Amino acid sequence: MQNSPAIVAVGRTKFGEHYGKEPEKLIEEAWLAASRGCGIERKDLEACYMSDCFLPITNKLGLEEGFLSELTELHVPMEITRSVSAALLTACHAIRAGIYSTVLVGGIEKMTDRWDKIRDDLMLLEDPWSYYAGCTPESNHELMLRAYAKKYGITGEKLEKLNVALAQIAVKNHANATKNEYAQYQRKITLEQVLNARKAARKALGLYDFAPISDGASALIVTSAEKAKKLTDQPVYVLGTASATDFLNYPAREDLTHFMATKIAMANAIRRAGVNQKDIQVLELNDQSTMMDMVSLEDLGFCEEGTAWKNIYDSYQDYQGYLEVDGRKLFINLNGGLKADGNPLGATGGAQLFEIFKQLRGEAGPRQAAADSTPQYGLSNEFEGFGTKSYVCILGRN
Amino acid sequence: MSSEPIERRVSYLGDRLKASRCQICGKEYFEVRDYCSDCGRKSYLKMSAVDLFYEKGTLELCTLVTEPTNKFTKLGSYVYGIVSFHGGKIRVPGRLTDQIIKKDENVDLATLEGREVVPRFRRRYSVNRTDVVPTISLAFTLADEYYPHQEYKVAAQNKEYELPGIVGYGVYTSRFRIKEGGIERAVPFTDEDSVTAAVEAGKTALIHSGIDSSHVGKVYVGSESNPYAVKPIASKVAQVLQLGEEDGDVQSVDAVDTEFACKAATSMFKDAAALVNYPASGIRNTMVIGADNSQAAPRGCPGGELDLFVGYGGAAFVFGKHDVIAEIEGWHSVTSDTPDFWRRDGEQFPMHGGRFTGDPAYFKHVKKSVTKLMGKFKLEPQDLDYFVPHQPNPAFPVKVARDLGFKEEQYICSLQVKKFGNTYSGCSPVGLAAVLDIAKPDERILVASYGSGAGSDAYLLRTTSQLLEKRKRQKINVKQLAENPFAQYVDYTTYRRLKQGM
Repeated sequence: MQNSPAIVAVGRTKFGEHYGKEPEKLIEEAWLAASRGCGIERKDLEACYMSDCFLPITNKLGLEEGFLSELTELHVPMEITRSVSAALLTACHAIRAGIYSTVLVGGIEKMTDRWDKIRDDLMLLEDPWSYYAGCTPESNHELMLRAYAKKYGITGEKLEKLNVALAQIAVKNHANATKNEYAQYQRKITLEQVLNARKAARKALGLYDFAPISDGASALIVTSAEKAKKLTDQPVYVLGTASATDFLNYPAREDLTHFMATKIAMANAIRRAGVNQKDIQVLELNDQSTMMDMVSLEDLGFCEEGTAWKNIYDSYQDYQGYLEVDGRKLFINLNGGLKADGNPLGATGGAQLFEIFKQLRGEAGPRQAAADSTPQYGLSNEFEGFGTKSYVCILGRN
Repeated sequence: MSSEPIERRVSYLGDRLKASRCQICGKEYFEVRDYCSDCGRKSYLKMSAVDLFYEKGTLELCTLVTEPTNKFTKLGSYVYGIVSFHGGKIRVPGRLTDQIIKKDENVDLATLEGREVVPRFRRRYSVNRTDVVPTISLAFTLADEYYPHQEYKVAAQNKEYELPGIVGYGVYTSRFRIKEGGIERAVPFTDEDSVTAAVEAGKTALIHSGIDSSHVGKVYVGSESNPYAVKPIASKVAQVLQLGEEDGDVQSVDAVDTEFACKAATSMFKDAAALVNYPASGIRNTMVIGADNSQAAPRGCPGGELDLFVGYGGAAFVFGKHDVIAEIEGWHSVTSDTPDFWRRDGEQFPMHGGRFTGDPAYFKHVKKSVTKLMGKFKLEPQDLDYFVPHQPNPAFPVKVARDLGFKEEQYICSLQVKKFGNTYSGCSPVGLAAVLDIAKPDERILVASYGSGAGSDAYLLRTTSQLLEKRKRQKINVKQLAENPFAQYVDYTTYRRLKQGM
């Protein structure tokens, strides 16, 4: 796409607990890695779009832009969003409008600094009324899973298979993360571990079904198509980005089994990108839980509603590196996903885009998708809240 | 949450579960809205209020919470889910309350889904001891268990009586019990306190009386376990029960807390009755509530002797001149400065005068008020059908009744202390309610309360034929509360933990 903005370089930190590092140090680390990758220096940046969800709460940083300015000696426009996907979307609009040609997009989160209170914060910001009624960050995922099984009449043996399929997602993600030097959990887990954790929790989803709490930062250097060609031989174009919004309050939504915001965002993103969905091979899903991974596959249109668990069950029993749907190979969360790579909210989307960038350039090393050729197109889906906002970003090599 | 404005807005919507309906398309919202999102500006001022407070919903979906967020940890494990009203037109988040789920207990969620549930007014979550106590009605109990769902219907008021009196009453006690030393006592669930009991009792009293809640001109709440040293329980009761005309988010009602140990509520019966009888007051109804989460220090500590008797619960009485079920014929009150039981400001538990609480305190004052009242009306014990003595423990009321010359059949049915414990301000009121549950028309009841400090109020009541009419509205009475198959028994450690609350 001639006029599409392009990502020319990416950088990130390891996700996990960065006890001794200030938030600024993390973003500096991510930025430096990205900067080294394309020869762009601070003085080349015309604007910064950064994201964080919680820094004002976890680190009492009110005007994050000011910290960034002090750190970089930059006095360019800077804006804070809540997710890297939101930052990228805004940056791309500006580039397309011809306002800027070189922009830094990044994200940062330091959740473990407020380890003891973070679940209350997460839940209260996700939806106050649900929080008041006793909801936890995990509850809505479990409710949606029950609603899903009910809606599609999944009971008995089928339900057992579905539950195994979800467990397989976690096992697969941990296996992928062993090849990711930045991942929070670079170790394998077994199906038994996932199932036992559920038994211990006395619920359908257990410890291993949910993404962890993490610290980390990520950065992308985004330029106009024209500039990108001068900077690199392999720009990765942002072909289409879109987002949609749904109610804060999950119980009040019309459909309790799917994320309407994703469906709308996907329809718009694919239309803007002008890409055939069948050509998209690499996916980065926002697996806050294994349930969310499964439902998102359907909401994005890669699997038919009510059937994703079957594809997952069949493909991941003997995981060969991909999910097979109607004979097509889908490479999903090759970095380990939120589950194993980590989920520092404001930086997570950057890690997802980082992975697609690497995959499309064939630079993912041991994680490289086992496709016949380097993938052409990749898609990243990111949420804010429990489906309240959904972002879809389609990247391509040309 | 320490923001008072946020707390007040959340309480205003959540305590009563206020919702809105678009009169054009019929869409409903859990919120007070000025317009419908679908119909837009043409629906402005065409939204009607929907009240879910007296309704029952359906638990549509649920899950088990074993690791609550910090503010809910005191609840242990609980069931959280989605409750729908009006066939799914409104869905709200909610948790099941009044359930103790053990550490390794499996919960069959499928059997809970689809069950009918009733909203309960409870504490929302834990906060610092210095903060505003947050409440909400997004806690639900199963409609067919301990406390059944009861509809609130405003009935036409027919007959005006010459004397004012009780026009309806309601009792609230919790589902949990401790059984020790031959008596059972009601134990509040973690999210209950004197405020929630007062509201629940008031709610049932409104249902039983059938009066329009906007006709209540004044509400008195007597309690000695208000979670606040300064801030009335009555204001919460008035707002949640929508007493008096609602104007914006303000109720046209006078609300006041009263304090005189265990007679804080009974003391106000005469005031409440007098107010509806005062021609210029313009007040049709008044309400008096006595409710307590009776406090006692743990056994072995000073004041710990009360730990064997304290209960939880309360009763509410609505007064008026129309459709009276029991007329107040007269009363006599006595007072002396007798410090037999007290709690200093800032102290958590009351102190107890031991032996001193008997003869010079309870017996002296109760006997005096009763004999004075009987003398005033020239009554002998046999002229009365029922005697309701204050009942701080099982022994005192029996002894005082015998000493006054009453026969067992006159007082035995009023004795509830062996079933619910000493509910302090709710104690003699619950006894009176138990008698009204079974009394026949045109019977005479003498009720004598006692409040440490000390004083006693004796009232003479005469029942009317309306008593039988209104009894049909009761889905549950005191006897059924006491002998409830869904009551759950807990051990001493659990009892102390539950009583401690959020």
